[in-house]
Amino acid sequence: MTASLTTVVTKFYEEYAKTTPSKLKLIDAYLFYILLTGVVQFLYCCLVGTFPFNSFLSGFISCVGSFVLAACLRLQVNPENKGQFEKISPERAFADFIFAHVVLHLTVMNFIG
Amino acid sequence: MALIYSFIVLLLASYINADKETLVLLDNLAIRETHSIFFKSLTERGYSLVFKPVDDSNLVLAKYGQYLYKNLVIFSPSVEEFGGSLSVEAITKFVDDGGNILIAGSINSGDVLREITAECGFEVDEEGAAVIDHLNYDVLDQGKHTIIVADTANLIDAPMIVGAKKTSPFLFRGTGLIADKENPLVLEVLTASSTAYSYKPDSPIEEYPHAVGKNTVLIAALQARNNARVVVSGSLDFFSDEFFSSPVEKALGGQKYPKSGNQDLSDSLTKWVFKEEGVLRVGKVSHHKAGEKDAPQYYTIMENMVYEIEIEKLSKDKWVPFDAKDIQLEFVRIDPFVRTVLKSGADGVFRTEFKIPDVYGVYQLKVDYTRVGYTFLNSATQVSVRPLEHTQYERFIVSAYPYYASAFSMMGGVFLFSILFLHYRTTEETKKKSE
Repeated sequence: MTASLTTVVTKFYEEYAKTTPSKLKLIDAYLFYILLTGVVQFLYCCLVGTFPFNSFLSGFISCVGSFVLAACLRLQVNPENKGQFEKISPERAFADFIFAHVVLHLTVMNFIG
Repeated sequence: MALIYSFIVLLLASYINADKETLVLLDNLAIRETHSIFFKSLTERGYSLVFKPVDDSNLVLAKYGQYLYKNLVIFSPSVEEFGGSLSVEAITKFVDDGGNILIAGSINSGDVLREITAECGFEVDEEGAAVIDHLNYDVLDQGKHTIIVADTANLIDAPMIVGAKKTSPFLFRGTGLIADKENPLVLEVLTASSTAYSYKPDSPIEEYPHAVGKNTVLIAALQARNNARVVVSGSLDFFSDEFFSSPVEKALGGQKYPKSGNQDLSDSLTKWVFKEEGVLRVGKVSHHKAGEKDAPQYYTIMENMVYEIEIEKLSKDKWVPFDAKDIQLEFVRIDPFVRTVLKSGADGVFRTEFKIPDVYGVYQLKVDYTRVGYTFLNSATQVSVRPLEHTQYERFIVSAYPYYASAFSMMGGVFLFSILFLHYRTTEETKKKSE
């Protein structure tokens, strides 16, 4: 069982390293960083309690929002999905990504207290 | 000119005495003589008494919508029908409009009296029934054991109504009352002892008496919700000169008292029923934030609030500061959020300071003081409590620093990522470009 699981994981990793474009790998690294920050915040909140609840919410939501936006960007610039996003060029996708980030961070700063 | 002046003086005099105007209804004018001490003490206390036989055809309580009298004494137990415009309805309306009544019944109480008392929450026993007590009758008694001796222990514990502690017992000859136990406004002022019952003295007892033992009420009182007061005594003789000045001694042994407590109790009762005693009123009500002086337009949650209320008591026709330790303030928004005791100051101003709860809305500051013998005191003031303003929240809380850090790192992250994402070239692309 464990043997098959390790084979699956190694196979997956090799495939990923070989076939994924490096631009998407960059996005994946960014996603992983966001995920870590979110998890750390959640654990911290569990430890010290919810007192500045608005601060916790805005910090956590800024992570969640960034994660969602980055995931969307990854979908739109992925060459494999080209068929679905014919009218959206990678540049346009990136501009949307930046605009959405501006709105997200304005809201977060307003709410963080 | 002099005529006009005297007329004005007369008008003023009648205005000042408006609270003391009293109509006395009598079965026959002889009662005026047999109860002279009672009427004399009322006159001495400033009451202007108007004596009328109960069947007088000119009886009126109100003229042009204005009551001519503030108080009514009905010393006519056997009345079958009132004269003039007086009726049970008119008397009930008189109470509804704030008039005070003192009623005395007797062994021969008529139906009209029964109806009036029923409107007030008491029942008078059947015609001919008397309170009988074979253990506590007076030496004066002729053998029917209807002149009973009521102990001071059976008196209600309410100094406002019955005055200071009485020493001599009371003489009573009359019918028993049954108070409506469901009615919270009815007070049993004086009850018979546990060996008493109410029945016709000359007939054998064939059915269970209506009132037995302590349920036999001798004197009952009512303070209506509009603070009108009614006192009903089952005995007209209770107020008579004969009983006022008679010595009291239980026939079956017991201490001999040179004078009955009747006069003493009747003085206290009339003081209460005609509103000389136990009348409260609310003066100035004010509230403000702690450390300030004027009432603000609104309060903010969690602020300290100071509430002050002035309460006065009527004493010898003057309003004097009231003193009590049990007056409570409620801060109500549908439910009371704060209930606290008001501390009395020297000048009758009751004061408290409390913290407004962490809930905003429209509140009422309520004082509802209901004590036996006092008029009902009610005061409600509305204030609005609003939440914190946007700028009033605490900022830069130490425990929130990780959240701030993460929010800024997200911003920095997107900046770095953008630079890398825009300038990143795959190896194939770089090749293409250089070609």
